[in-house]
Amino acid sequence: MTAELVFQQALNGLSFGALLFILASGLSLVFGMMDVVNLAHGAFYMLGAYVALSVVQSTGSFWLAMLAAPLALGVLGFVLEPLLLRRLRARHLDQVLLTIGVSLVIVDVIGQVWGREVRSLSAPAGLDGSVTLIGGVYPVYRLFVIAFGVALAAAMAVVYRRTRIGMLIRAGVQDAEMLGALGVDTNRLFASTFATGAALAGLAGVIAAPVFGVQPGMDTDPGLLYSLVVVVVGGLGTLSGAVAGSLLVGPADTFGKVLFQDVALAVIFAIVALVLLLKPTGLLGRIRIAR
Amino acid sequence: MRAALVAAAAAAVVTFPYWSRPWASPFATTLLRDALILAIFALSLDLLVGRAGMPSLGHAAFFGAGAYAAGIAGQRFATDQLPVTLGAAALVGAALALLIGVLVVRSEGIFFLMLTLALAQIVFAIAFQWTAVTGGSNGLSGVGRPMLAAVDFSAPDLMYVLVAVTFVLAVLVLWGLARSPYGRALTGVRENERRMRALGYDTARLRLSAFVIAGTIAGIAGALSAYSTRFVSAQDAGLGNSVRAFVTVLVGGAGTLGGPIVGSALVSLIERVVPSLLPTDLRIADAILGIVFIGFVLFARQGMVGLGHAALVRVSRR
Repeated sequence: MTAELVFQQALNGLSFGALLFILASGLSLVFGMMDVVNLAHGAFYMLGAYVALSVVQSTGSFWLAMLAAPLALGVLGFVLEPLLLRRLRARHLDQVLLTIGVSLVIVDVIGQVWGREVRSLSAPAGLDGSVTLIGGVYPVYRLFVIAFGVALAAAMAVVYRRTRIGMLIRAGVQDAEMLGALGVDTNRLFASTFATGAALAGLAGVIAAPVFGVQPGMDTDPGLLYSLVVVVVGGLGTLSGAVAGSLLVGPADTFGKVLFQDVALAVIFAIVALVLLLKPTGLLGRIRIAR
Repeated sequence: MRAALVAAAAAAVVTFPYWSRPWASPFATTLLRDALILAIFALSLDLLVGRAGMPSLGHAAFFGAGAYAAGIAGQRFATDQLPVTLGAAALVGAALALLIGVLVVRSEGIFFLMLTLALAQIVFAIAFQWTAVTGGSNGLSGVGRPMLAAVDFSAPDLMYVLVAVTFVLAVLVLWGLARSPYGRALTGVRENERRMRALGYDTARLRLSAFVIAGTIAGIAGALSAYSTRFVSAQDAGLGNSVRAFVTVLVGGAGTLGGPIVGSALVSLIERVVPSLLPTDLRIADAILGIVFIGFVLFARQGMVGLGHAALVRVSRR
């Protein structure tokens, strides 16, 4: 590989990593607070992309879609949590199973409403061009994705460390039950957390759409599969784990595809297996295995 | 008495196409054949989910591996003989289960579920991308004929008999397993792993062996599916298929032999019969399956078998 190609692929890897962070942070947040791995996260991601498709088609504004999709998914999450998950409070595994059913329904409804063809969404005006960087042209949109991922991570870090909501989240991740005993309304906290997780998945769906397209199957690949790999590698339930996981998996996947083509996924498999064998709780994870 | 009843039921299931012909269409045989394949697959998963308390969401990896193994072994060894192809399916299912099992048996609950899902998804991706061997996204066509000596089982009725005999054998094996000291030890691991370890059981090895047995049976189910459709798709190893088996087990009733069987009947009904009753442009079988599944998880975690049992108890109390 030439130096230019390495540089380009490094940027590709970073932009994929940034995307993975947006995608996986919601999954990680929900798990950290509620001990629930939301297996409908990929379906939420897919729904976000399709909502964005409709918003862009009717208003022509990508930016509006970037607001509307997370909002719509947030509302859905805010309704689903009390409607379904709350009934099974403390039965974590059953809550996870429930999200499988939710995913089946959402994906089928998407197919029924939007059709089952491959669709595409172009990058917004101003970001749809390319720039010359160290001897090669590079799409501006991917640079935007990197910047957005970094900004989101920074914003989330500030919220975590400096605000009352962040304090509640950190406390809830430590021990949600104790937080309830101290008088915090955990019902509202859990519903808001689930809604935020769904909104982040929806946001990832919009941002990924111009890069990966909008099509059936995106709920699993990249949606659910990659967010799971990121949180398994980075460790569930922490912001730093989601950052570390994305920064490792994004570039590894990108370079794996360039170097090994057909067996690229073996690279990710190797990483997952290695982390599992050496440190089953993930690179930055805490030990907390919920049954 | 009980043995005679079981033998009669088994004989009735195996000979279904021959006694049902006067009133049932050949479609009924096909439908039942596919339901029985799903039942074998779900029964093998229930050994993990229901018996040993290992909620695997990656079981399709072994089903798919078995399907590919049967098809590819037939092509590479240029033979149609079932002992070779089914044997290859069982062997590959077992070997893959050993490989994945070593990585996952030490984790539990949600973590176990995620790991099995992620690892199986990678098996799917390999099947999808390794075009030279698996046919990639086109799938593997040209699966050979299922031959036993000079008998060709590819005619619909004989194919059904092959599936039904395998189903009966699988039920017997799993029934024997559940009643054996080994099966009871697995239940012990599910109920209280720490106590089992304190009693001197090697619980990791128990879980691993259950994982390998389940993978082997799932591999055989996959091979039967490959023979039935004469085709293997990467989707056979995909998450959708894992979810399907899991839904079947839970809707029917985990931890029982009857559960996965009645579950496969209901799932087949929703997948194959309900769509024919709906307008053709309404393809919502998965959504219906999802809603039914959510209903069972919320309100009837013991599945249909549990519901039936509760109803029986209520009636007998009157």
